[in-house]
Amino acid sequence: MAAIDAEPVQGGATQGDRDMRSHALIALAVTAAMAAAGPVTAAEPIRIGFNVPLTGFAAADGASAKNGAELAVEQINAAGGVGGRMLELVSYDDQASPKEVVPIANKLIEQDKVTAAISGSYSAPTRAAASIFQSAKVPYISAYAIHPDITRAGDYVFRTSFMGEVQGRAGAKLVGDILKKKRVVMITLQNDFGKSLADGFKEAAGTFGVEVVAEYEYSIKDRQFGPIVTRVKADAPEVIYASGYFFTAGPLVSQLRAAGIDVPVIGQEGYDSQKFIEIAGAASEGVIITTSLDRDSKDPEARDFIAAFEKKAGYPADMVAASGHTAVKVLAAALGAAGSTDPQAIRDAIAKSHVKASTGTISFNGLGEVEKDVQVQIVRDGRWHHFAVIDDRKLLAAPTN
Amino acid sequence: MFLVELFVQGLIQGSVYALIAVGLTLVYGLLRILHVAHAGLFTLGGYAGVLVTNATGSVAVALVFAALSVGAVGMAVYRFCYEPILRRPPYVALIASIGLFIAMEELFRIVFGPFGLTYDIVPLQGSVVIGGMYLRSAELVTMALAAVLIGGLGLLAGRTRIGLAWRATVSVPEMAESFGIDIVKVRYLNFFIGSALAGVAGVMVSVLNNLVEPTMGSVASYKALAIIVLGGLGNVRGTLVAALTLGVIEAYGTIYLAGFLDRDAIAFAVLIVILMVRPQGLFGRSA
Amino acid sequence: MIGAYEISLLTTIGIAVTFALSLNLVTGFCGQISLGHAAFLGTGAYVAAMSVVAGAPFAVGLIAGGLVAAAVGAVVGLASLRVRHDFLAITTMGVGFLFVGFTRQQDWLGGEMGIAGIPEAPFGKVGLMVVALGVAAATAAFSVYLKRTWMGFAFDAIAADEDTARTVAIDVSRYKLAAFALGTGIAGLAGGLYAFNIRFIAPDSFGFVESVTVLAMVVIGGIGSVLWVTVAAAALAVLPQWFQAVDDYKLLLYGVLLFTVMRLSPGGLAGLVARLVRGVRQ
Repeated sequence: MAAIDAEPVQGGATQGDRDMRSHALIALAVTAAMAAAGPVTAAEPIRIGFNVPLTGFAAADGASAKNGAELAVEQINAAGGVGGRMLELVSYDDQASPKEVVPIANKLIEQDKVTAAISGSYSAPTRAAASIFQSAKVPYISAYAIHPDITRAGDYVFRTSFMGEVQGRAGAKLVGDILKKKRVVMITLQNDFGKSLADGFKEAAGTFGVEVVAEYEYSIKDRQFGPIVTRVKADAPEVIYASGYFFTAGPLVSQLRAAGIDVPVIGQEGYDSQKFIEIAGAASEGVIITTSLDRDSKDPEARDFIAAFEKKAGYPADMVAASGHTAVKVLAAALGAAGSTDPQAIRDAIAKSHVKASTGTISFNGLGEVEKDVQVQIVRDGRWHHFAVIDDRKLLAAPTN
Repeated sequence: MFLVELFVQGLIQGSVYALIAVGLTLVYGLLRILHVAHAGLFTLGGYAGVLVTNATGSVAVALVFAALSVGAVGMAVYRFCYEPILRRPPYVALIASIGLFIAMEELFRIVFGPFGLTYDIVPLQGSVVIGGMYLRSAELVTMALAAVLIGGLGLLAGRTRIGLAWRATVSVPEMAESFGIDIVKVRYLNFFIGSALAGVAGVMVSVLNNLVEPTMGSVASYKALAIIVLGGLGNVRGTLVAALTLGVIEAYGTIYLAGFLDRDAIAFAVLIVILMVRPQGLFGRSA
Repeated sequence: MIGAYEISLLTTIGIAVTFALSLNLVTGFCGQISLGHAAFLGTGAYVAAMSVVAGAPFAVGLIAGGLVAAAVGAVVGLASLRVRHDFLAITTMGVGFLFVGFTRQQDWLGGEMGIAGIPEAPFGKVGLMVVALGVAAATAAFSVYLKRTWMGFAFDAIAADEDTARTVAIDVSRYKLAAFALGTGIAGLAGGLYAFNIRFIAPDSFGFVESVTVLAMVVIGGIGSVLWVTVAAAALAVLPQWFQAVDDYKLLLYGVLLFTVMRLSPGGLAGLVARLVRGVRQ
């Protein structure tokens, strides 16, 4: 096993080849790093910036993202670091606020002198920080923010998760093509996440013969959905496409079921937490979501992550944790491949990524948007399980400019 | 039929609003402070509900415990937070209260974690069908509790000596004092009852959602203020009507106005229109 | 020599001070409590952002933001002629929620997705810092000047007692509207600077929390005191950065701080200093 867990996987290369190449890269990395940074001790860590909401309304996702990212750093360091240098996560609470993240991004770049940075935060702060990292030419990876404009900040900004629109299109395929349902009612969360999912879903609905009967909206603060549930019941759809996070979707799904609505409910990565199942209880059985973590994956990278995360965090892995973990692994692989801490080299290495991580095999298009499969999961016996995979590259194609 | 169901859903939400807002308006009536931290007491009720129910298996025990403990905390809030600044301009108490609320939310997060707590076995999960309408037991209990508790409060205020002293203190404190009413005792009673109602509301909301989060009180912190203003600050009957009305308007608005205004904006649009027509609120005494 | 981090902090401070002083005009000078002031920061930010994205010069965007915010503010000021005190506080709070609720549903304003890709100011980050600090200084100077004018006197009288002010023939309505237009216009300027600084705006950035934060700055400083509101705004604006070592507890500390200042010194920093000075003299 090479020093880096999520080593770059090149098509056709044998294990031996790759080990050789990794070792060569590590040697290169060490030399280059020393050349670039002058006389440094080999022990000096590579610092990775991390903005994450630890307080405020997004604190739950922030906690998971941070646990996931920390796990990745621990795993990489336990395996010898990158090019002999340990990774160090420099993390600050951004309260999921664009106003707070601006000084944080500047501090990470200038005072902490991070080599690259990762966003473990929501869309608004990530979009605001992206411009700053881009201007400073510090590579920046968004772990799970969905705003389409994030990667448009420039060529140093990448995203290892799906854009909302892409996942929305996958949702339409799931409804029309895999489940063969036609009449759908949409229940849309009123924020950037819900809106972009809804846009993608509606865009692709026609292709799969799905008819949107009605769409209702709710606020992220809502936990009681009586009026919407009442209305949906009257609409009598064949399937419900409801966007949300585990803390809104949990109450929503249990209220739909309590009202005697038993048609399938389709969700997305926002549901992807054991907490959703805990909240909705028996009502969560049979709920299907599009996400990026396959709980029944045969892939050692994902299996290892799921086991190690529960051991570290004390609760089962969720999508946000896997996304934080993936972003660090992708960055570490690129650091290894670049063989230096030169920002340009790291950027280029990220752009060429082909990395096996907990959320699948990651590569990027020209804009820095991820190209990977959408995992479809279902709740069975109180746990998330494999249901299907959507790998239709044309459907999942993110914009390239 | 559908319109009737929406109306009933509005009443359920309105009952929750009423339980929270009545306590708030009592505090306002007596002390003229906008007690934002009331929403923190509501959240505390939610945590008490989940923790006690999970420990004892009885939501009834949890309700009683929440009412008593949150009521007691409410009295402590009065004693240590508000009493020393009562004579200050109103914005002093407002900012102090906001600070207290933020601190409470953060304490909940630090102590109980950011993910929120759920019931081991969710109580009151049955549902009944009334005229083709599905109602969850928890929803019925919420409405019943609101009716009984607020009705009981009305009886207490209207039919007993304590109630007389209380009303006297609310309307003319100086005169009440000269009649030998112990104003401080009345204030404690006031905070106890108001906070206990918020605690009960917290338990019921945590049951309805099967979730209590550190930020559970964030909506209550501002919407309850809108309700008591609408009800004519300090007016319990007005607050009750305002809470139910707002619940119903929001229920219809969620369906028919969603593409134009969100739920909060609907509530405040109604508030502003009414205040422009009746600046003292729906049931306020005109100034 | 200051780096990009210090520049971003100073820019943040400049914007926060301008914003807090703008509320101080309405609430401190004229006694009209507002719990929805962030709506005007947002109005200025949206107008400025949309102007420069459409290709207008930055100065034009900034001024347009201020003017539109002042116009909206004057309309909201009409409400202050109808309702008073706590009723006004809640009415303005409602205006704040209406702003957010409306903006998030309007596709032409970017809706939920907000406005991204606001170009970098041509005068650079240092230039923006200079402008932000300059606007803050000008607002402070204007506030001090205003206090000495007839209008400042009228504001004082209205803040002390509206009815008495009326009896001495002060046109209360006119001055209240003027206070709202001035205060919200300056908030609009701060909003434009905010948009140029963050370069991404979305409805949630201008919600209730922001309104409460700015009111806290004014009250912690000492309502009406230009100097101490400036100090409080500057300090509270960078507080989250100072508390980074205790990230997990920083909001808790913030809450405790608000409460403690009000509990121990209801007059805010200004009151505290005044008491200390008196203590020394005695």
